[in-house]
Amino acid sequence: MKTITTGILGAGRIGQVHGNNLLRMPGVRLKAVADPFADFKEWPGVSVATGEDPDLILGDDEIQAVLICSPTPTHADFIERAAEAGKHVFCEKPIDLEPDRIRRTLDTVDRAGVKLQVGFNRRFDSTFARVKKAVDDGEIGAIHLIRITSRDPEAPPADYVASSGGIFLDMTIHDFDMVRFLSGAEIVEVHAYGAVLVDPKIGDAGDVDTAMTTLRLSNGALAVIENSRQAVYGYDQRVEVFGSAGSAEALNEAPAQIRLSTADGVRSENPLYFFLERYQASFVAELEAFFACVRDDTAPPVDGRDGLMSVVVGRAATRSRAVNRPVTVESRATRSTGGKP
Amino acid sequence: MNHTTVGLIGAGRIGRLHAENLVGIPEAHLKMVASPHLDEAWAQALGIPVRSTDVGAVFDDPEIEAVVIAASSDRHVELIRRAVEAGKHIFCEKPVAFEPGPIEEIIALAAGAGVLLQVGYNRRFDPSLVAAHHEIDGGGIGEIHTVRVTSRDPIPPDIDFVRRSGGLFFDFTVHDFDTVRFLSGAEIVELFAVGEVLVDPRIGAAGDIDTAVITLRLSNGALAVIDNSRHAVYGQDQRFEAFGSSGSVAVDNLRATYVTTSKRDGVFSSRLHGSFGDRYREAFVAELSGFLSSVREGRPVAVGAEDALAAVRAAHAAKRSLAENRPIRLDEAMATDTAGEGGIR
Repeated sequence: MKTITTGILGAGRIGQVHGNNLLRMPGVRLKAVADPFADFKEWPGVSVATGEDPDLILGDDEIQAVLICSPTPTHADFIERAAEAGKHVFCEKPIDLEPDRIRRTLDTVDRAGVKLQVGFNRRFDSTFARVKKAVDDGEIGAIHLIRITSRDPEAPPADYVASSGGIFLDMTIHDFDMVRFLSGAEIVEVHAYGAVLVDPKIGDAGDVDTAMTTLRLSNGALAVIENSRQAVYGYDQRVEVFGSAGSAEALNEAPAQIRLSTADGVRSENPLYFFLERYQASFVAELEAFFACVRDDTAPPVDGRDGLMSVVVGRAATRSRAVNRPVTVESRATRSTGGKP
Repeated sequence: MNHTTVGLIGAGRIGRLHAENLVGIPEAHLKMVASPHLDEAWAQALGIPVRSTDVGAVFDDPEIEAVVIAASSDRHVELIRRAVEAGKHIFCEKPVAFEPGPIEEIIALAAGAGVLLQVGYNRRFDPSLVAAHHEIDGGGIGEIHTVRVTSRDPIPPDIDFVRRSGGLFFDFTVHDFDTVRFLSGAEIVELFAVGEVLVDPRIGAAGDIDTAVITLRLSNGALAVIDNSRHAVYGQDQRFEAFGSSGSVAVDNLRATYVTTSKRDGVFSSRLHGSFGDRYREAFVAELSGFLSSVREGRPVAVGAEDALAAVRAAHAAKRSLAENRPIRLDEAMATDTAGEGGIR
């Protein structure tokens, strides 16, 4: 297997998760990590070059692929600089909060002829992939309804909320992508209700912590997403696709599949605590898929257009909640596919 | 003797179900069944002493203390009026009426005459939903944030029924509106409904929809969601979940049996119930027992015409939301609407 030399921009939580996965991944060499704020004393170890300056990576001709794990406002710039330097890019979601900025970025990627994959890791989760297979194989017939329950175990701090772009662009964005992934259809209209029920500070920051989002899809199906920033019992990630021939459901996963029956009742374990635990394997699988498409010169499984559409839908949901009307999702297709050959 | 003499009006699907349940309830004496299309042999086999094709006979019998109205929906209001005039306590199938006006009128009439009026929102007597309600009421999940109802029928109704039914929201979703109110303990303030014809184009041709998603705002600030389909091939799909600040409570689907079979090609569980009658068998008995206890003990009924009114108001709002593709507040829903007529699309 041809080894691909890689660098990571951003050494925060997700950057370290990806970095650790790369260090164990055959056919990949993690050469450098750049982050202006990380101290690098403990991580990633002596085999990897570290520094504050992104040029440590963007200016290194040996580095063929870049993982962008820095804060959202830097994503688009870094994608463009990496693409212009001829590097393939894996970028965490969202590419940007402004669709026009994303479109410009995707044009740059197209012109450079490099791959761009966006970090919608849930598509690589084996449970959701099996639901998708049930849909694709026709096991549940034509899709009528998709229902997603997506709840975090704990609310983020209010200052994070203020810079996150809001719940629909920060959290529901994954669910929008899941609806598109499972249905193979586009979201054409959105209505969102929101409420502040978990933490009034989230409301003070101009956001909501509880939401119900209704979607119309291009294939005529309907979808609904339930979100909460705080489920005390753990990360609640359930999906159901209902169709003319049945339904396929993804249930929560627990660290141990046990049933404890006592005089008090029947008990099982809480779901895996949060996304790092629940989606651990998918973080590895998405990078393996990215490096495979770089190596084999094939289309990335989650491309720039997927990154764009989820943001377009997230903005429509944000607007819908503000004006309390259903909002049509702009149908203007991007010219770019972000690296599709 | 500690029993109540009952007359039943209507002997269609739901009327027969109530008759069979009443015969089995020790505190009930089902004296009479009246229906213009009465199946004598069936009524006789059940041992109902008086059988009539004239519904007036029920009201004229002074021994009958309580009537169960299971005639077609369009006759409910008239029959309730006559029962009130005759001084009889009333159990009436939902939706009572498609319009809020007649329901309000009936509430006043029944209150004035001092008769009890219970409405057939049977789910309020389902043991699982009662237990969920109890958990919520006792603070078990903290403050309520969201309520979810998944309600899907195993077999679409025939098209004649669809035409008469008032449409999905009035015939089917009314139960779910009531369940949202029951579990949340709050009123529906506003809702947004989307609907499609995905099951059977004839349902669309009859002016109705067969698939819907309704999101709702409640008076306590919580949100709710209902998803409906007229056709779930795997059986009667009835799932409920309330989510709150300290946890969630969920009611899963029930089955006739609980058998797991594991084979080379997968793990199989028993099928879900195949009809609402089977799924809510205990609830249908318990709602009549509850009604008769209220009659005997002079206690208020567990689910009354006010609840029917709230559900019908929500159905009107949903109908209008679907037509205008926008959220509708319940207090604006009634402005220009004509319910039931001409379908909901």
